[in-house]
Amino acid sequence: MSAADQTTAERSGRRTASRRGRQRVALQPPNLGRTLRSEWVKFWTLPSSIWIIAITIVVMVGLSALMAWGLSLGGESGAPQDPGAGGGADVSVQPGEGAQLPALGLVAVTFSYSVGQIVLAVLGVLVATSEYATGQIRATLTAVPTRTPVLVAKVILVALVALGLGALAVGLSWLATYPILQPEGLHLDPAVEGTWRTLAGVPLYLAAIALFSLGVGFLLRHTAGAIAAVLGVLLVLPILTMIPIDWVQDLALYLPASAGERLVLGAPDDTLSEWQGYAVLCAYAVAALAAAAVLLRRRDA
Amino acid sequence: MIEANGLTKRYGKKVAVDDVTFTVRPGRVTGFLGPNGAGKSTTMRMIVGLDRPTSGQVMVNGKTYARHAAPLGEVGALLEARAVHTSRTGYHHLRAIAATHGIPRSRVTDVIEMTGLRAVAHKRVGGFSLGMGQRLGIAAALLGDPRTLILDEPVNGLDPEGVRWVRTMMRELADQGRTVFLSSHLMSEMAITADDLIIIGRGRIIAAGTLQEVIDSVTGTSVRVRSPQAGELAELLAGKDVTIESLEPGLMEVDGLSAAHIGEAAARAGVVLHELSPRNSSLEEAYLRLTAQDVEFHSGPVADAGLQQAGAA
Repeated sequence: MSAADQTTAERSGRRTASRRGRQRVALQPPNLGRTLRSEWVKFWTLPSSIWIIAITIVVMVGLSALMAWGLSLGGESGAPQDPGAGGGADVSVQPGEGAQLPALGLVAVTFSYSVGQIVLAVLGVLVATSEYATGQIRATLTAVPTRTPVLVAKVILVALVALGLGALAVGLSWLATYPILQPEGLHLDPAVEGTWRTLAGVPLYLAAIALFSLGVGFLLRHTAGAIAAVLGVLLVLPILTMIPIDWVQDLALYLPASAGERLVLGAPDDTLSEWQGYAVLCAYAVAALAAAAVLLRRRDA
Repeated sequence: MIEANGLTKRYGKKVAVDDVTFTVRPGRVTGFLGPNGAGKSTTMRMIVGLDRPTSGQVMVNGKTYARHAAPLGEVGALLEARAVHTSRTGYHHLRAIAATHGIPRSRVTDVIEMTGLRAVAHKRVGGFSLGMGQRLGIAAALLGDPRTLILDEPVNGLDPEGVRWVRTMMRELADQGRTVFLSSHLMSEMAITADDLIIIGRGRIIAAGTLQEVIDSVTGTSVRVRSPQAGELAELLAGKDVTIESLEPGLMEVDGLSAAHIGEAAARAGVVLHELSPRNSSLEEAYLRLTAQDVEFHSGPVADAGLQQAGAA
């Protein structure tokens, strides 16, 4: 608490005491820290939050284990192309480019980010829109009428949850896949260049997606609309990359998901580096949140 | 203390609150009365900064709500629509609000006790009855021990015991020197609870003052006079502030003069009176009359509903 806060708190406390004489309630002005604590309480006291997070981690780790199992079988038959692996594996199993692109063990640990992003997109949207759907937003904004701290607190909350969930999922996936892949010599090797970046890429990517979704949620204020918009951007727009027109291809490079995924999948070409791609995704998130901040202050709740 | 000055809110072309100016004084219970859609809720939402006024301003305890360092200590608000996530328990809802102002758990427990929610505090709000939801809203409003309370239709959905509890509580809070501002669309409720009254219709203030002042200003006693010389008497009584309505030959209704005055005037002029009866309209009638032009949705007689529909639009 800053010194200014302290004095205001004391002043309002004295005023409370003097006008009543009975038991007094000490009030402290709502700042970012207290708003964050409030948001933290709100998030973890919703049973759905805990369920969503638990199920997501289980699914992500389960998929990684399944992938590892598939790879270990493929390793035995000498054909590591796994039909169930999706786009992530296709990119990574190119021989000769192994130095830049994730190795199989790493793919097994990280590829489930693609499922995680859907959940975190929904979670990010809900942190904003469920308040509007239930009317909770009126209680929230009455308690913190300057409004901006509410948005910032939610940004911190969502970032922490996404980073924590991503890190936990990757860590557990590593643990789960290691005994399956180790006998085949396919296990993840942290010494290989880019491994740590790819591992960190999962929570970072998920956090950026969740924050982008939070911004869209605050902008649209309706759960169904915001989820449709976010999933449209994440899952439908990348279809553009299949259209063989130069300018469409150039544009598709800068779509949030395709750009951001480079951090996890590696950069298959020299247009955008891994971190540049991630920066593009972050720019989308920042833009959505900035617009949300302006409108949150301006609109009626 | 709540001071609204030229407060106006437009939604597109629709004017919800139209250049409203009023003061709500501390130490008193002030009723905010008006038919549904009159602008009560919008006004209250503007007081706590949820809606931004199109023009004008409203101050609470000398500042606009958002400028107060610890707003929950200034104003506790229960707004009409529920403002609670239904999957959370009442206790956690209050804890989350309390956290914004560093309000200790003990105070959360206190307001739960005060509002009689102990038995359901750890149940999900989604399963609350209307009355319990209302009590939770009041608990949230009381959390910061506010100097001003704003309650939108607080007795909605409460059982008779709950209604009495709210009335008693409003009175106690006002007696402690706080400002209590509550809305209702029921005149009868206001007549029991309020010291001061502000009546709003179609976004405009129709009447404001102490309960008695408002009643006097709107109930104005009329006198029914029956006389074979009604025309002659009408001329005698005519004057400023006097309205005389002829109901049928020999029968008229006089507004603005007491029965005694009319009787004496008639005696002096030798006019024969067959009937001289003062008629006090009830508060409810007065309110209905006041807001008759101002209600948004008129209801026709049930039997005529079909015809009304055809003709009304």
